Amino acid sequence: MATKKLSFIVRSLPYKTEASRLALTHAIASQTVEIYLNDGDLVEASISYVGDGVLNCLKGQQGMKHYGITTIEGHAKNTLLLDMRVLICKEDLEKFGLSEGNIVMDAEDIGGETSAKIVAYSEIQKEMETADHILVC
Amino acid sequence: MKLAVLMSDYRSGIDMIDRLSADSLGIIFVGNGVYHAAVKDGGKTSSLLGKKANFYALVEDFETRGITAANLDSRVKAVNYGDVVDMIFNDYEKVIWI
Amino acid sequence: MGKLTIGTFSSLVGSLSLDFAVKLAEAAVKKGHKVDFWMSGNATMLAKKGQKAFKDYSFLAKPIQELIATGNFQICACEACAEARGYHKEDCPDGFIRKSMDWYLASTFDADRVLHIGGD
Repeated sequence: MATKKLSFIVRSLPYKTEASRLALTHAIASQTVEIYLNDGDLVEASISYVGDGVLNCLKGQQGMKHYGITTIEGHAKNTLLLDMRVLICKEDLEKFGLSEGNIVMDAEDIGGETSAKIVAYSEIQKEMETADHILVC
Repeated sequence: MKLAVLMSDYRSGIDMIDRLSADSLGIIFVGNGVYHAAVKDGGKTSSLLGKKANFYALVEDFETRGITAANLDSRVKAVNYGDVVDMIFNDYEKVIWI
Repeated sequence: MGKLTIGTFSSLVGSLSLDFAVKLAEAAVKKGHKVDFWMSGNATMLAKKGQKAFKDYSFLAKPIQELIATGNFQICACEACAEARGYHKEDCPDGFIRKSMDWYLASTFDADRVLHIGGD
């Protein structure tokens, strides 16, 4: 029985390209990976938003209204609903003048119990160091 | 950690690499990243080359762009795809693409 | 020898990053490694039969078939990403698999190295 850790690092801006959307949907796919593995083996994904990537977390996205597509905000909430470890770089939020009130921190409105964590970049560096593989999107 | 970074861009991603730390860091310039290895902007070499790392540039990508090994900054070693495979498997534990 | 899992979102023809991924896979297989190649997003364009070779454009269909023939290379397209782009099962070239994203995550489980090319 083993668990492999994947660290998804989201640095791309949302919507113009699908990179950050796919990062989240791939990370969420870790929930159903057991069908391919031996009993007890797992793949555990975490998500860290860095650089411009923190802008994926802005609340109030209206992708469905204007383009008929689900929002990155919705996917970000789903990662929290699924109790994934979500880290948001503190320094990058501050650079954009953002704080907790501007961004998706939890999924309480859809029954989630896990919150995102705003952390110093050094914590995200540690996350990369402890992961088996790092996937930058 | 021992980390290989495949740097594929010239204008973006520098901030990401600046923040990375590793016990052993290999920066392999591929795609448009090869310009870091050879081009001077305003007379200055790429700021990335000042980072504490081993630097490499992919022959297939710099020659595609009209750059020769003679143009490479002295800090950068020319490598081919086979070398990159060997480095990924033998010299570094993890590999990322920027 | 080891296993390399490559995941890519890069466009066929529109981005040479996909060519890089294929060439790296070739180099790895040539050295005796196994490679799993996952295509999501725009990279699923590679999972479409009938690509034509023009000198102005990348032609990856042939090297991919040669890689599949080695027996040390698996190539899988994201089914949802392909369908969204109008590529159906019957459009897939021989030897390609189509699965959901958990196939890729499962491939990383026993990979020695994972290279994720998360953009164009």
